[in-house]
Amino acid sequence: MADFLNSYSIQRWLELCPQGYLEDTVYGHEEGESEAEVLLADDDLRTDAIRSTVQLVVGERAALAASSGLVNAAPDYPSKHFLATQTLDEARHVEIFTQRLFDLGVKKADLESTIDHFANPHLVKFAEVLLEKVDSGDFIAGVVGQNIVLEGLAFSVFEMMETSNRVSNPKFAHTLAGTIADERRHVGFGENRIGSLIKEHPEKKSEIEQMQKDMAYHMLKTFSLSFDEGRDNVDKARDVMGDVGSADFHGTDLSTATSEEMQTVLEQTVIGEFKTRLARIGLEYQAPVGV
Amino acid sequence: MSPEHDSDRADLGHPDPEFDPHALNQEDFLNEVHSFEFWFQAVEGYLRDRPYGHAEGEQSSPVGVADLGQSEKDSLITTLCNYCVGETAALEGASGMIAIAPNRHSKIFLATQVADEARHLEVFLHRLRDLGIANPEAEIERRANPTLLVFKRRLLELVRSGDWSAALLAQNVILESMEHSAFMVHAATADPVTAEILDGVMKDERRHLGFGENDLGRLLADHPGNRARLAGIRGELDGLVLAVFSRAADDLATDRSMRADMGREYLETMDRLGLV
Amino acid sequence: MNNQASTDPITQAVTTEEPRRTFELEDRGFREVPKKWRKFYRHWEGEDDWLGPNEIICPVCKVVIRSKRELRVGDRLYCMPCMSRMVVVEAQDGSLATEVIY
Repeated sequence: MADFLNSYSIQRWLELCPQGYLEDTVYGHEEGESEAEVLLADDDLRTDAIRSTVQLVVGERAALAASSGLVNAAPDYPSKHFLATQTLDEARHVEIFTQRLFDLGVKKADLESTIDHFANPHLVKFAEVLLEKVDSGDFIAGVVGQNIVLEGLAFSVFEMMETSNRVSNPKFAHTLAGTIADERRHVGFGENRIGSLIKEHPEKKSEIEQMQKDMAYHMLKTFSLSFDEGRDNVDKARDVMGDVGSADFHGTDLSTATSEEMQTVLEQTVIGEFKTRLARIGLEYQAPVGV
Repeated sequence: MSPEHDSDRADLGHPDPEFDPHALNQEDFLNEVHSFEFWFQAVEGYLRDRPYGHAEGEQSSPVGVADLGQSEKDSLITTLCNYCVGETAALEGASGMIAIAPNRHSKIFLATQVADEARHLEVFLHRLRDLGIANPEAEIERRANPTLLVFKRRLLELVRSGDWSAALLAQNVILESMEHSAFMVHAATADPVTAEILDGVMKDERRHLGFGENDLGRLLADHPGNRARLAGIRGELDGLVLAVFSRAADDLATDRSMRADMGREYLETMDRLGLV
Repeated sequence: MNNQASTDPITQAVTTEEPRRTFELEDRGFREVPKKWRKFYRHWEGEDDWLGPNEIICPVCKVVIRSKRELRVGDRLYCMPCMSRMVVVEAQDGSLATEVIY
């Protein structure tokens, strides 16, 4: 067992999170912060915010199911400990994004129907591919799917959203900043723990690469549908929010970019990250066909 | 959809002189106590400045160990090894239950329990190293109580079968009750570091036990037809529970009155739930 | 947070002739719940300890539950540390006890 795993302990997690960057936060943001008034006042923008937040809840529910399912499949105590902290991180994310839906005006009684209504069907498929591996107790495929693919996706999406909300909606940006800090640990664990296991089990490579290809297909379809649905509101949001200054995300200014440009930079960023991370653990990125 | 600015939004941190928790309605109460935010602020109260479950100054020296005789030390190691077996069962059980939990609040609560159980496992492993055990995992395998291993296997079977009420009974009522009782009796006679670790663990167990009893109690109130089946599962597991208690009492050299205390809480809980 | 009395029948205590005493609660060092709730609970301190007229022991987790008001039969209480809901009842010896409500 590599000594580095000892740093993934509950003790370290307690020092980093509850006693670290989450201290004095309420539902992930500073106490007293609220959603931007202009967002709450405009039905189109509010509905758009609800739609995008629903995708975060769907993704985090999948991550919660996957990380908790992987605790049992983990072959050693440090991995179990780490996945236990990840389980709690994911539950926190489910809770804070659900809370954002309430803050955006979703009634508690309407929560599940709102999620069913807005959930992107491709994101649901993306989660199903992962959970099939987790349910079968396949630790290596499960961690690649969860901690490299899903978390890699979440990391870039959260970063992009955090960048574009930093000035216009600090409450949501602060919520996202805490989740990004969590995701850093999750992708780090994925790479560090799985690299050695892939070396020990080269026969698993083709099966895992197929899973990654399937997940990437549904991810790209998710992006495509999401940006299509939000396209009409991009200009309106800029009009309503006023000048928020430039917001650079990997060379693209999100404050002036078109919806197509935003989709392109997100896809390029996520796929670029996938290629780098997968290569580090000895896998080759498989581009999906038909998207 | 119209904005519903959350009038019942949790504000867990700042005392309001008018606030009275006993005046909450039940739904608000359950929303509150099953949340990450509640857990987060609760554990902050008793885990801060207690790395590995005890005060910082005691961290590097195995306080109290020097005072233990060889056989007492050996008994303590056996006991801690079996705590690790129980906590591993609880960790794997609680994490498996997230998938079958019937609602979001239960899933979030169980996620906090997963982290609690992993912490318990970690602090007991750390304590074993304090006691000079270089390879705790091998030691646990060597000293594990076979009956506890049977219980663990049965618990995980119930979880895997997707039977929420049976898994809740085995994990959050029976296993938690066994652990809490054993820790309580042990803490009364343990060396100071072990006692402090156990004290912190028992604070977590209160939430787990309470969640199990109350959720199962509500379920039985709504579906009384489940009672006979669950009483049957209790009956099946009772023999294992008694054997585990008996072995734990032997390891701890517990006197007669304390042995009775060990089983009392478990029996009282079953009585309140009507699983007799 | 909804602090209004609900329509739940068990929140309604049986009325008696005597007006209830009220109590100013202070923090007794109970750290197992968020700050806002701490003064409503304390640990039982053993044989030399005693319960005030506004205090009762949780039957599930054995911590002492405290109220701002003198307790009477029919009062509803919550134990936050173990998440139990209960109602105050009269024990066989005439003292106050609690019954868990699921």
